[in-house]
Amino acid sequence: MRIGSPELALLVLALPFASFLAIGLIRPLRRSGRPAAAISIVAMAGALLGAAAMSWEGIPVARALNPSVLWSWLPADGGPMASVGVWVDGMAMQMCVLVTLISLLVQVYSWSYLADEPPPSLGRYYAYQSLFAFSMLGLVLSPGFLQMFVFWELVGLCSYLLIGYWYERPEAARAAVKAFWITKLGDLGFVAGIVMLWSATGTFDFWPLFQAAESGALHVDGLTTIMFLIYLGAVGKSAQFPLHIWLPDAMEGPTPVSALIHAATMVTAGVYMVARAYPLFALVPSLLVLIAWVGAFTALLAATMACVERDIKRVLAYSTISQLGYMMAANGAGAPEAAFQHLTTHGVFKALLFLGAGIVIHHFHTNDVFRMGGLFVQRPWVGGPFLIATLALAGVWPLPGFFSKEAVLAGVLQAHLSGPFLMLILTSFLTAFYMFRVVFLAFFGHAHDHHEHPEPPLTMDAVCRALAALTLALGLRAAVAGPHAEGPVWLSWISLAWAFAGIALAWATYQAGVLDPARLSAAFAPIDFLARRRYFLDAIFAGAYRFALLSFSRVVGWIDRYVVDGVLNALSAGALRAGDTLRRVQTGQPQDYVYGVALGVLLLLVWAQLR
Amino acid sequence: MTEIVGFWVAAVVLVAASLAVVLTPNLFHAVLWLAVALVATGGVFLLLDSPFLFAVQLLLYAGGVVTIAVFAIMLTERLVGESIRQTSRFVFNGAVLAAAVFVGLLGFLLQAGAVARPAATGDQLRDLGRALVGPFAAPLQLLGVLLVIALLGALYFARTED
Amino acid sequence: MPLQAYLVLAALVFAIGLFGVLTRKNAVGILLGIELMLNAVNVNLVAFARFRDDLAGLIFTLFTIAITVAEVAVGLAIVIVIFRVRRTIEADHLDLLRG
Repeated sequence: MRIGSPELALLVLALPFASFLAIGLIRPLRRSGRPAAAISIVAMAGALLGAAAMSWEGIPVARALNPSVLWSWLPADGGPMASVGVWVDGMAMQMCVLVTLISLLVQVYSWSYLADEPPPSLGRYYAYQSLFAFSMLGLVLSPGFLQMFVFWELVGLCSYLLIGYWYERPEAARAAVKAFWITKLGDLGFVAGIVMLWSATGTFDFWPLFQAAESGALHVDGLTTIMFLIYLGAVGKSAQFPLHIWLPDAMEGPTPVSALIHAATMVTAGVYMVARAYPLFALVPSLLVLIAWVGAFTALLAATMACVERDIKRVLAYSTISQLGYMMAANGAGAPEAAFQHLTTHGVFKALLFLGAGIVIHHFHTNDVFRMGGLFVQRPWVGGPFLIATLALAGVWPLPGFFSKEAVLAGVLQAHLSGPFLMLILTSFLTAFYMFRVVFLAFFGHAHDHHEHPEPPLTMDAVCRALAALTLALGLRAAVAGPHAEGPVWLSWISLAWAFAGIALAWATYQAGVLDPARLSAAFAPIDFLARRRYFLDAIFAGAYRFALLSFSRVVGWIDRYVVDGVLNALSAGALRAGDTLRRVQTGQPQDYVYGVALGVLLLLVWAQLR
Repeated sequence: MTEIVGFWVAAVVLVAASLAVVLTPNLFHAVLWLAVALVATGGVFLLLDSPFLFAVQLLLYAGGVVTIAVFAIMLTERLVGESIRQTSRFVFNGAVLAAAVFVGLLGFLLQAGAVARPAATGDQLRDLGRALVGPFAAPLQLLGVLLVIALLGALYFARTED
Repeated sequence: MPLQAYLVLAALVFAIGLFGVLTRKNAVGILLGIELMLNAVNVNLVAFARFRDDLAGLIFTLFTIAITVAEVAVGLAIVIVIFRVRRTIEADHLDLLRG
């Protein structure tokens, strides 16, 4: 295990935060657009250098050392109730590098992609980007659940802000709110879980919790429930079934945002959290089995939905959900290192896929794959990186996707989870199929229009090529370093075979025209029907939400009208009626008043007698 | 002995006359019965060794008040040829309440122990006079003022509009 | 006779006077009832003055008589004025204070 320098970690955190503050607070700077973008990019580059340096300088230590540095935050009797700080171990350092690298590349890409935006909006965009980078890094470097939760929420906020960047578009605004709400459902479980954990153990911090868990000293009643609640946060954030419905809609945001947040970084926060808190999850093996099953099921479900999508970004979104399912399955199978490996490799090539898709969309002015075609011949340097990323995603040797998928499958197999294993194998077949469907439709075949399209901007091209190079490098490094996974030898051959089978099917259907796509979908008619309608999950959620909210508001309205107002009306009516009744005492007849006096005297006599 | 007989005579007359005052339909008769009651009260005063008060009672009450009441009746009822009639309202309620008050008072009165009648001391009239111009001089003056005010008030109310 | 006898007598006359106030319809009749009540009070005062050998009771009685006379005068003057204005002194018809 390696430990990094906390000072560098704080620097890595501080740079994007400073950029956010500068852009956010200094209004003229933000409204100027390009200078704000420049500041953000420079800060991000600095953060990347800091993360790289931190990772480079990380020193290997014995297992027993505390990788976190804490400062007390909320004071309480007998020690602080909550602390803030940084936790710099190997996983955190790798994640920092990934986050800063992808953020930097995305911000550079956005420089050209959003070139047509009015400067104030551009400044706003880069302010959000800086805030997001800071939040994600803070989440990754958190030494405890509370700080992680704070940054968790911040990341969710940035997602909302960035999905709804073009807020004048109602679909974008709705998608942003939907994302926020669905992830919030998971976050409710998350916060409930960590508070229950705190009330049982007295601390939010990872180090004491992990120490107690590993030494077997952690005795908490209902730990399964608590860890399940915490897992719910990951379900929401990492788009596991059934809280995955927000991710396809989140594609309403700009493509670079999708690349950054909904491929490489934010959605991986759930996977990261489960991997980070693995010592605690390891204490509840039944929950881990559930996590694996849910992950595998999510992977398969999303893959089926990707097969019938026309929108290239939506295909990639479903692909992300599917791969997140892979990662969670690995977590559940007891192989968090495999999950993390897949997280990092997937982050690289999925970001590349999204950014490449951005160029494609830019070129064709449409998201619909059926209106694209022949791009590879026109622009081989756009198609090349995209093809590399697709091969990586399909899991072809020697690209990194192959190695990380093999690690995941090996982990699942080792845990003897045959159901999830079969689901994941089938998913890898489908992954290859739907990705190459997109490739064949968009890059090969006949071009539907023969206009002259301008060259893609240099920055966008350069970023994609850089990512492609990185993908190749990662793959080659993994290939050269020798087999990591402890899986059986036949596993790699099986997964490769399935990948090629998927590619072959896609080629046969969409390129060579041997198979008719309509007959193919007819062959799987029920699944095809459901997948096209997203398995009605959106409708179920919307209906349930509307039902719950409306009935609750109706109840509240009834209470307001009949109980609250009713009490007031009753009081006033009662006062009026009492007044009317009492007024009848004033008859105006003086003898009646004498009656009153005499009665009073009588009462006095009686009372005096009784005393 | 004489005192006991005198008391019972005076008491019976007083109570009977009072009942007559409140029960007679004819208002004029009621005033006359009031005069009888006031004289009987004077008799009670006499029995209580207060001759001066007996005199005052006869002069002011039985003389003055009754006269005033008679005048008032004259001025407020159409007398010519008619006898003044009036009926009472809610007699039963009033009787019950009055009886209740009487019983309540009785409850207290009968609880008290017996008090002996002390011997009659010196000249009551002289002592009374000395007290009126001595310790009670101020109230006496105020009483004078009150009487003047009452006189003025009555004059004002009873004036004819000019 | 013991003190209680005089006190009971006074209470009885007082109750009778109260009955008169409560039941008479004519305003003058009500004032007659009030007269009886005040009269009973006087009896009470004099009885106490005698049995406690205290002159203050007699003084009090004198004052009460004087005040009663004044009150009757003014009260009956008011009754006369009401009669002039409203042509009636029946208590039932004098309900201007009705709420």
